[in-house]
Amino acid sequence: MISQIFILSSKGDHLIYKDFRGESGGDAVGVFYEKVTALTGDQPPVVMSHKGLHFVHVRQGGLYWVATTTADSSPFTIIEFLNRLSALVKDYCGSLSEKSVQMNFALIYELLDEAVDYGYIQTTSSDVLKNFIQTEAVSSRPFSLFDLSNVGLFGAETQQSKVAPSSAATRPIQSSREQGGKSEIFVDVIERMSVVIGSNGMLMKADVEGEIRVKCYLPNCSEMRIGLNEEFSIGKSQLRGYGAAVRVDEVSFHQMVRLDEFDSHRILRLCPSQGEQMVMQYQLSDDLPSAPPFRLFPTIERDSGGRLLMYLKLRCDLPPKSLSQELSSPDQSAELKPQSRAVVWKIPRFTGGMQLSALFKLEVPGLSSASLLEVGPVGLSFELPKLTATGLQIRFLRLSPVQPGPSQRWVRYVTHSDSYTIRI
Amino acid sequence: MQEWANQLCENRQFGSKMTDSKYFTTTKKGEIFELKAELNSDKKEKKKEAVKKVIASMTVGKDVSALFPDVVNCMQTDNLELKKLVYLYLMNYAKSQPDMAIMAVNTFVKDCEDPNPLIRALAVRTMGCIRVDKITEYLCEPLRKCLKDEDPYVRKTAAVCVAKLHDINAQLVEDQGFLDTLKDLISDSNPMVVANAVAALSEIAESHPNSNLLDLNPQTINKLLTALNECTEWGQIFILDCLANYTPRDDRESQSICERVTPRLSHANSAVVLSAVKVLMKFMEMLPKDLDYYGTLLKKLAPPLVTLLSAEPELQYVALRNINLIVQRRPEILKHEMKVFFVKYNDPIYVKLEKLDIMIRLASQANIAQVLAELKEYATEVDVDFVRKAVRAIGRCAIKVEQSAERCVSTLLDLIQTKVNYVVQEAIVVIKDIFRKYPNKYESVIATLCENLDSLDEPEARAAMIWIVGEYAERIDNADELLESFLEGFHDESTQVQLQLLTAIVKLFLKKPTETQELVQQVLSLATQDSDNPDLRDRGYIYWRLLSTDPVAAKEVVLAEKPLISEETDLIEPTLLEELICHIGTLASVYHKPPSAFVEGSRGVQHKRLPGSAGSGESVESPDTGSAAGVSDAPPAVIPSQGDLLGDLLNLDLAPPATTTGPPPPTSSGMQMGAMDLLGGGLDSLMGDESEPPPIPLRTDTPQSPQLPHQSPSPPDYSPTELGGDLGGSPAMGAGFGAPPAAMPASFNAPVSGGLDDLFDLGGGVGMPSGAYSPPKSIWLPAMKAKGLEISGTFARRAGVVQMEMTLTNKAMSVMTDFAIQFNRNSFGLAPAGPLQVLTPVSPNQSIEVALPLNTVGPVMKMEPLNNLQVAVKNNIDVFYFSCQYPISMLFVEDGKMERQVFLATWKDIPNDNESQFQIKDCHLSSDAASSKLQGSNIFTIAKRTVDGQDMLYQSTKLTNGIWVLAELRVQAGNPNYTVSLKCRAPEVAQCVFQSYEAVLKN
Repeated sequence: MISQIFILSSKGDHLIYKDFRGESGGDAVGVFYEKVTALTGDQPPVVMSHKGLHFVHVRQGGLYWVATTTADSSPFTIIEFLNRLSALVKDYCGSLSEKSVQMNFALIYELLDEAVDYGYIQTTSSDVLKNFIQTEAVSSRPFSLFDLSNVGLFGAETQQSKVAPSSAATRPIQSSREQGGKSEIFVDVIERMSVVIGSNGMLMKADVEGEIRVKCYLPNCSEMRIGLNEEFSIGKSQLRGYGAAVRVDEVSFHQMVRLDEFDSHRILRLCPSQGEQMVMQYQLSDDLPSAPPFRLFPTIERDSGGRLLMYLKLRCDLPPKSLSQELSSPDQSAELKPQSRAVVWKIPRFTGGMQLSALFKLEVPGLSSASLLEVGPVGLSFELPKLTATGLQIRFLRLSPVQPGPSQRWVRYVTHSDSYTIRI
Repeated sequence: MQEWANQLCENRQFGSKMTDSKYFTTTKKGEIFELKAELNSDKKEKKKEAVKKVIASMTVGKDVSALFPDVVNCMQTDNLELKKLVYLYLMNYAKSQPDMAIMAVNTFVKDCEDPNPLIRALAVRTMGCIRVDKITEYLCEPLRKCLKDEDPYVRKTAAVCVAKLHDINAQLVEDQGFLDTLKDLISDSNPMVVANAVAALSEIAESHPNSNLLDLNPQTINKLLTALNECTEWGQIFILDCLANYTPRDDRESQSICERVTPRLSHANSAVVLSAVKVLMKFMEMLPKDLDYYGTLLKKLAPPLVTLLSAEPELQYVALRNINLIVQRRPEILKHEMKVFFVKYNDPIYVKLEKLDIMIRLASQANIAQVLAELKEYATEVDVDFVRKAVRAIGRCAIKVEQSAERCVSTLLDLIQTKVNYVVQEAIVVIKDIFRKYPNKYESVIATLCENLDSLDEPEARAAMIWIVGEYAERIDNADELLESFLEGFHDESTQVQLQLLTAIVKLFLKKPTETQELVQQVLSLATQDSDNPDLRDRGYIYWRLLSTDPVAAKEVVLAEKPLISEETDLIEPTLLEELICHIGTLASVYHKPPSAFVEGSRGVQHKRLPGSAGSGESVESPDTGSAAGVSDAPPAVIPSQGDLLGDLLNLDLAPPATTTGPPPPTSSGMQMGAMDLLGGGLDSLMGDESEPPPIPLRTDTPQSPQLPHQSPSPPDYSPTELGGDLGGSPAMGAGFGAPPAAMPASFNAPVSGGLDDLFDLGGGVGMPSGAYSPPKSIWLPAMKAKGLEISGTFARRAGVVQMEMTLTNKAMSVMTDFAIQFNRNSFGLAPAGPLQVLTPVSPNQSIEVALPLNTVGPVMKMEPLNNLQVAVKNNIDVFYFSCQYPISMLFVEDGKMERQVFLATWKDIPNDNESQFQIKDCHLSSDAASSKLQGSNIFTIAKRTVDGQDMLYQSTKLTNGIWVLAELRVQAGNPNYTVSLKCRAPEVAQCVFQSYEAVLKN
C-alpha cells in the first residue's frame, strides 16, 4: 500500500504531492529530501525509513519519484510502479523534466488519481487511462528548426528523411489525437552486454540482456505483428531454421503480447497502446554467437625511471560495414582521474576492423613490482548502433488495419556495454 | 491553455523569482482575493484556471484553505475536468474544515446517481478520501448502491471505498453489512473488481486478526486463481499476496496451486514475479521432495530470479536481498547460477556487497575455483571497502568449503605480497580465522605474516596478529621480541589490542617460562595497575592469580583446546528466516527483519510461518499483536540496562551497544554461567569440566561479512568482556553483562518458585481421582530456538479438565516477564481456558511450573497428525512457536461408557471399512488389570467375553467433540501381544487412540 506519492525536483522543490491514506504528516517530503541528500555512496538508497515511514524512490528525468508506505509493502511493486508512473508522465507530457511536470501538474494529479486509489495501484495502462483523463497535455518543447530536418528539402526524398531524429519519439501521446500528429511507430531493439575477458584473453563471461520496446503514436491501430528471425530459439536444446541460430536463454513478454504465432513463426502479436511499452525482454548468458566486439592487448611494465608504462592496443573485431558509415576525425582524448585512480581514454568513433593503440606513462610514487598487480581491470563503455549481439532482427512490422494516410514505422537496433571488463 | 503554458515557459526562462510562473507564485493577501473573484467568475474557463492555480499553491505547501467555500461552489458543474480539480482540493482540505465539507455532501450524493459511470466512481472515490467522521453516515447509501453498480469501474472503486470507510469508522462498516457485500465481490465477473475486493478484505482482515473475513477455502482459492489470469498486473499482485496467506490442505492441492501460479514467473513486472516466488516458496514446503514436480518447480524458479538481476540497480538490490534469503532456505535453486552473481565493475557498491554475500553462500566444492578467481580480482579493485569485503570473503570461503582452504590461504598470501596496506590487514584478520578452523595446518605461513607486522595500524589486524603470535609462540623464535615491541605503546593501543596482548604474553610465558618472566610481569602490572579499563584489570588479575596459585592449572586453562569456529555463523536464525521467506518481496525481506520490528500499530505484525512439510499448518498468529514487537518492549525494571542489551542482542539487531558507564560490580561466577549458557559457551571449561562449549553464535543481520570471533576463546578469554568485544565490537557491552548480579538478589527467586511448585503439586494431588495417564514431560521448545526460553511440558486430564503442564526455564540472562500463550486452530478445538498464569518474572536460570487449563471450544482445523498442536508463546523478548502432540486420551471424557445394547448396535452399524487393527507388543498385564488401567484414562470396558482362553474386552470411549470410539481388545493369556480393533465413524482418530492405548497400558 502506498501512503503518499511525491515528485521532487533535483533541488528538492515540491512538484507533485499526493497523500492517499492520510497516515503520515506532510513533513515527509522534507524528511525525504534531507535523507536522500545525506546518503553516502555505499548506502543503498532504495529503501529509507524514518519513524515508521518508509521511503522508496527512483530517479527519472532528473526528478525524484518517491512513494512512502507505513506497512510492510513490496518495494518491488513500488519501484515498478514509480517507473511506470514516470513512463506514463513521459508518454502524456512528451518528455520528462522539471518543467514538463510543473506545467502538467493537473494532468499528473488526474493520472495519479486514476492510477492509485487509497494506496492500491489500479492501472498503469495508457489504454485504460485514456478513457478517464480529461486534462490535455501542455507540451514544453519549443519550436525548433531541427524538427524540420526530416522533411525533405523541396519534398525530395533525401538520405536524411529515411532516418528519424532521435528526438522524434519525445512528444505527448494524446496530442496525436487532436493535433493531427504523424502516425508513427518506433520499435527499438536494445541490448546490453556484460563481458569479462580474463587476463589471458579468454572470454570468461558474456551476458546479454535485451529488450524490444515499442513506442506507438498510431491513433487507431488494432493489431501489430512483429516478426523476429525465424531462427530465434529459446533455451539450450532448441534449434530452429537452417541459418545460424539466434539463441537466448530466457524470454519474458508483456502481458498484452499474444503468442499464438510465436511458436510456429516467431511472430509477436499485440495491440500497442499509446505510448511506450516494453514488449519483450530476453537474456543470453555465456554463449554469444560471435566473438566479443572489442579486444584489448595490454602490456604493462616499469621503465627504468620508475614510471608505469601501459601500452594498450584496442581492436574492434566487427565487420567494417556494420558500424557508422562515415568516420569522423578520430579526435581521441585521455585524462587521468586521480580520485578514482583511473585513466580515461575517449574514442569518439571506432569502425569495425580498426585498431588503435595508446601508450600511457604514469608517475606513481613508491612504485614496486607488486603494485603492477594492482593495475586493472580495463572497463569499456560503448554504444554499437545497428547491431545486436544476439543477432536478433526484426523481420517485419505489420500493422492492421492498414493505416490510412502516411504512417511510418521505425526500427532501431543498438547494443550498449553494460559492463565490459578486460582483466590485466 | 497553450497560451498560459507558453507564458509560463517564458517566465521560467527569465528565471526571476517574482515571475517564476503563473501558478507557482507566492500567495499574497491580494492574490487570495484575486483567486476568490476568479473562482466566482461566470466563465467556465476562468474558473478552471483559478482552481488550477489554487491547486498549484496547495502542492507547494501554501495554505489556500481560506478559499474552501469558493472552490466548493465550483463543484456543481458538468465539466468533468473542473469537477476533478475541485475534488482534488476537497480531499486535501476537508479534514481541516469538517463543517464546510458537509456542504459538499449533497453534490456527492447526487453525483453517485449520475448516469455517467465516471462521475459515479469519482464521487464515491472522493467521498471515501474525505476523512471526516460526520460525512460517513451520508456515504453509506451511495456506497451500497455503488457496490452493486452495473459498471465494473464503479464497483471496483466502491470496493476500495469500503476499506477507506473501515479505516474511519470500522463499526459502521460492520453494522451496515458492507463486509458481506465485499465478500460477494470476490465472485464478481470482472477481475479488477475481484482484485480490489481482495485487497480491501485483506486490509480489513489485518486489523481483525482473528476474524475469518478472508475465508480462504478451495472454492474461493479457485475463484482467485481464475481471476489471476485475467486481471491487470497490479491486481495479480494483490491476489498472489492473498494466496500466500492460504494454507493448502494437502500436497496435492498445494501442487495444483503451484501449477497455476508458475506461469506468473515469466511476467515482465518484477513485483508479480516476486509475489509468485513467495507463493511457490511457501507451498513448496508442503511438497514431498521426492516428487518429480518438486524438482521441476526448483528448476522453474531459477530463471526468473536471474532475470531480476538485469533490472536497474534499485530493483537489483531489492532482488539480491530476497535472493539472499532464498539461497539460505533452498540453495539448490540457484546452485548452478553462480556466474550471475559475479560483480560488474559498474555496479553500485551496495549491489556489489550483496552479490559478494550471495556468492559465498553459494560457494561449494564444485565452483570454489571459479569463486576464488573472482574474489582475487575483486581484491585488487579500487574501492577500499569492497576490497576489504572481498578479502574477508576469501576467508569465509576457506571456512565454508574445507577442500578449498589451502587454495584460499595461498590466494591470501598472494594478496599479502601486494603489500597494499588494507589488503594485508584484512588478510591477516581472516587468516587468523582460518587458523581457528583448521588448527595446525597452515602455520607455515606465519613467517610471511610476521614480515608485515610493522605495517599493521588497525586494531583488528593488530589484535589478530598478536593472537597468532601468542597462539603459536613456540614456533616463532622471536615471539618475545615481537610482543615486546607492541608492549612499548601499550597505553596507546585500543582495548581490543591490549586484551589480546595480555593474553598472548601469558600464553607465551606458559610456553617459554624461562625467557619471558620479565615480560609477563611487565604486562600484568600494566594491565592491573596502570590501566583504568575495568575489563583489562579484571583479566589481568585473573591471570595473575592463576599464575601465582597454580601454574599447572593456569596452563590447562589458558592453553586449553579451543572450539572450532563454525562456518554457518553468518546464517539468519532459522525461525526468522522462515518468517522472512513468508514475506518475500516486501520491506521485511529488504531489511531482513520481521515486519513487527518496523511496522507500527497492529498492521502486519502477525507472524507468519511456513507450513510444515508433512501436512497442513496454518500460520500462527501472535497472541498479542499489539505488543508482540519484543524489540521495543520495555525491559524489566529490575535491570534495565542489561535487559536492553540482551534484548538487542537476541533480536539479532545489534547496533553497537551504548557504553555503560562506571565500573561494573565484581562479577559472581554464577551470573557468568547464565551469560555463558545463553551465548553458547559456558564457563564449564574454566570450572574444569571437559565438555566442549559450542561455537559462539554471531549476529547475522549485517550485510557485511560476518565478524568471526577474532579472539581466541581459550577459557579465560570467556570473560563477559571478551564476548562483548566479539559480538558487538565494543568492549563496553561486556561491562553491561557484568552488571546484573548486583541487581539480582539470588534469594529472591527460590522461595517464589518453590511456593508455586507446592501449589501445583497440591492441585495435582486433589484433582487426580484415578491414575489417568500423563506422559512424562518432554522438551517442546529448546532454549537455543527461543532466545533462552526453554519449555518442556506434557498434557494431563485432571478432574475432567485438560491441562497443559509446562516448565518454563529461563536460560537467558535477562528476566523474562509478560508471558502469554496462544494455540493455533487444531483438530479438537483445544484452546487455553484462561491466560497463562506466570505471576512473577522468571529470573535467569530459574524454572517455573505452570498448569494451563484448556477447553475444547476453540476454532477447529484438522491437523496432521491429528493430535498436533501449534503453540505460540510470547514473553518480553519475542514470540516463539513450537508444536507438540498431545495424547488423545486427554480428550476421553468421563461419561464415555456406552450402554451394552447401544454398543452392539453401533458396532454393527459402523461399516467394516472403518475398523482398524493394531498390535500392542510386550504387554504383560492381565485383562482385568488392563481394563482397570484403561478405565483410569476413561476407556470403559462394557463387556468381557472369554473364548478359547482369549479374553475379549469390549470397550468404549468418547472424545470431547462427541466422537465415539469402540474397541475390542483381545488378550491371550501368556501372550504379551494384545490385539486392538477400533471402530469409529471418524476412522482418522484410530491411530491416535491406538497410541493412547499403548501408552496407557505400558505405563
